Amino acid sequence: MPSAPEPWPLALAVALVGLLALAPLAALGLVASQGQALAGLQLGDQGLAPLANTLTLVLGVGCAGGLIGTCNGWLTARCQFPGRRWLRLAQLLPLATPSYLLAGTLIDLGSRSGYRIGGLGWAIAVLGLGTYSYVVLLSSEAFSRTGARQQEVCRSLAVGPWGSFLRVALPLALPAVAAGMALGAMEVVNDFGAVQLLGVPTLSAAILERWQGEGDLPGAVALALVTLVLVALLLWSERQGRRRSRLWAAGQEGASPELWPLQGWRCWLAQLVTLAPPLASLGIPLVWAWTSWNQLPAQPAGDLVALGLRSLALALGATGLTLVAALVLSIGKRLVKANGVQLLADGAGLGYAIPGTVLALGFLLLGGGWGLAPLLLLVWGYVDRFLAVAKGGLDTALEGLAPSVDEAAQSLGCDWVGLVRRIQLPLLRGPLLVAGLLVFVDTVKELPLTFALRPFDFDTLAVRVYQYASDERLGAALVPALVIQVLGLLAASALMPSLDQELPDRTDQPKPAQSTVS
Amino acid sequence: MGHAEETSIGVYSGRHYNSDQKLYKQFTAKTGIQVKLLEAKDDSLIERLRQEGKNTPADVLVLVDAARLERAASLDLLQPARSAALLRTVPLSLRDSKGRWVGLTRRVRVVLVNPALVNAASIRTYGDLANPALKGKLCLRDRKSVYNQSLVASQILIRGDAQASRWVKGMTSNVSQPYFSSDIPLIRALGSGQCGVGLVNTYYLARLLNGESGPADRALARKLQVVFPKPAHVNISGAGITRYAKNPQAALKLIEFLASPVGGKGYAEANHEYPLKGYGDDAILKGMGRFQADGLSAEQLGSRNRDAVKLMEANGWL
Repeated sequence: MPSAPEPWPLALAVALVGLLALAPLAALGLVASQGQALAGLQLGDQGLAPLANTLTLVLGVGCAGGLIGTCNGWLTARCQFPGRRWLRLAQLLPLATPSYLLAGTLIDLGSRSGYRIGGLGWAIAVLGLGTYSYVVLLSSEAFSRTGARQQEVCRSLAVGPWGSFLRVALPLALPAVAAGMALGAMEVVNDFGAVQLLGVPTLSAAILERWQGEGDLPGAVALALVTLVLVALLLWSERQGRRRSRLWAAGQEGASPELWPLQGWRCWLAQLVTLAPPLASLGIPLVWAWTSWNQLPAQPAGDLVALGLRSLALALGATGLTLVAALVLSIGKRLVKANGVQLLADGAGLGYAIPGTVLALGFLLLGGGWGLAPLLLLVWGYVDRFLAVAKGGLDTALEGLAPSVDEAAQSLGCDWVGLVRRIQLPLLRGPLLVAGLLVFVDTVKELPLTFALRPFDFDTLAVRVYQYASDERLGAALVPALVIQVLGLLAASALMPSLDQELPDRTDQPKPAQSTVS
Repeated sequence: MGHAEETSIGVYSGRHYNSDQKLYKQFTAKTGIQVKLLEAKDDSLIERLRQEGKNTPADVLVLVDAARLERAASLDLLQPARSAALLRTVPLSLRDSKGRWVGLTRRVRVVLVNPALVNAASIRTYGDLANPALKGKLCLRDRKSVYNQSLVASQILIRGDAQASRWVKGMTSNVSQPYFSSDIPLIRALGSGQCGVGLVNTYYLARLLNGESGPADRALARKLQVVFPKPAHVNISGAGITRYAKNPQAALKLIEFLASPVGGKGYAEANHEYPLKGYGDDAILKGMGRFQADGLSAEQLGSRNRDAVKLMEANGWL
């Protein structure tokens, strides 16, 4: 590495973003230190069961999400079958469905027909469905990005679609798949609502019981921080494992890849596999509505519009800020080699692995002391929570870019600003779009922070959904939940076309087979 | 400016029923005092109030369950109110002895029986649920339910720790199905004969009987029989004035309104709850029959909540 001068403004920006992101965690550390140190770490009479349940869930959801996500990512990015474009959009629907609502609806449907829904298996299914979209979006972006050259290679070696997927595309997209699975795992660790409804005692449930059941706040926070350390170790070891098999591309793809056309039963199968998850997440609430249409209370449209506008405004603001923060961290991590900067950039996204209710407490501590406006605190909270979601894709995209590219640019007299502006930002366009989409959808459905930090008379869609669902009034919860899904779909249809355009002259050949309405 | 501040108060509420808002509007129409509302989970509200300290914009704190009200009071988040009207409208056992909070509505945790499987006459007290004859027939919601926690607290107060322990152990060994995470699926399991007997809050059953979740649920709920154990465990939702309220006089007016027969009626009927006194005008609740309250004060219940959770945990209540 030629020793270019360290870009200190960038280092400063990383420090600022990193410290802002870690401040609430530090506040939580302060709370935990007021407890009885290690005595606070007991998991109660259930012993290690919550830990075992959490690990099983992480493993199960990771495998299910990784498998279905990679499969659907490949199918929607690189294969051609009727309905592909629509199905690609639809992959976002499960992410836009709050897991606790899905769990509540399932339990309710089951209890009407005398069937008990609950336990680890159902929890894996519900959470897997709620998180596999991360893998789909991140991996399909990676599949698209590395498409053309890979296709040439396969052509010249006479490798078919399967070989091309398994031997070339998958290894190249593996960092993206891993990043998606890591996001899913963190979501599993912080989820509380769905697992509680499904009767699976997890770590987050143990944490909240320490706080709300036993009134032991320091003990609860200490437990949350220990969980955080476990997650950090998990992520770190995953990254170390991958470091040995690092694959680089040396820049942007020139030509656009053609899609593998699927015919006959393959086509049917592809449609089935890509349709099933979105159909489940939209269909289960709709089946509920169908069987109980008489319970859907009339909701004043004006109220819904107001809720929707608030959700939209918050999500747009949070998404913009999160992207900027994530860009600073990801680019800073690549360009500034100082150890402190590397550590800050990696650690800043950890807020995602803490149960939202506990993270909210960290913000209350900060905001209460400084008298900050609740809305400011709320947006800060969103950025902190979803930093990991935005950073995952950006990091893996930059990771796949050979360091020689930076070196070449610098040896040609390009300073770091030019390098970022002329090389890295254009390369990050696709990952940025995906990150924006994920953060937007996550923010619209975000609950614990919104619930705890929002100002007076400022309900959002997710707040309304939860209020009704937690009071066992599913009918009233369903309409705002459908609006959340619609917002997610709108965002997806607004951004997906630009994602497709990212590769020049990309068209869905052959045209006649296409069933999309454009 | 001073005037504008006088005519608006902030309410943090752990209740979330749309009809509550109608009631606040009614209050505004009557008094000219605007109500700014923030509804969230009770425990988050307590923590938020605690962190905001003197900066809090909240004047009134509304919480569900006696234990939480007591917690807010013991954390010094509420100030005592002096009000002749409240002394008159709120019975002694439903308010804090130091005047920091008052109850606004009551709900009863009752025994619900499927008469095809269990003879309702065999159950007279909560203690009868530990009877080994009910093995495999008893269904319970999990211990995270604050309603169950307060029920156990009441039994600790009435029977003492050792007997309450034996009672919980007896009940949990009667349970063979996974614990429920909510009341309504439990009621349905009773209706369909998967369970013979269970513990539920009156208002969940009332909603089903009222047809709020369809005719099938109504028909199912009608097959079930309510047993008010003697004495019955009564829990409350209630409110207090925050320690650092900017406008304590207006806050007191709102609480007095909610505790008054007019306001209290609205608050209770929003969710099929019992008003502070008597049985109210809810025909469905009246149809369930009369009960004899255990007379324990909500303050006592709240103070034994932690013991109750520990006892449940130690005796296998998942």
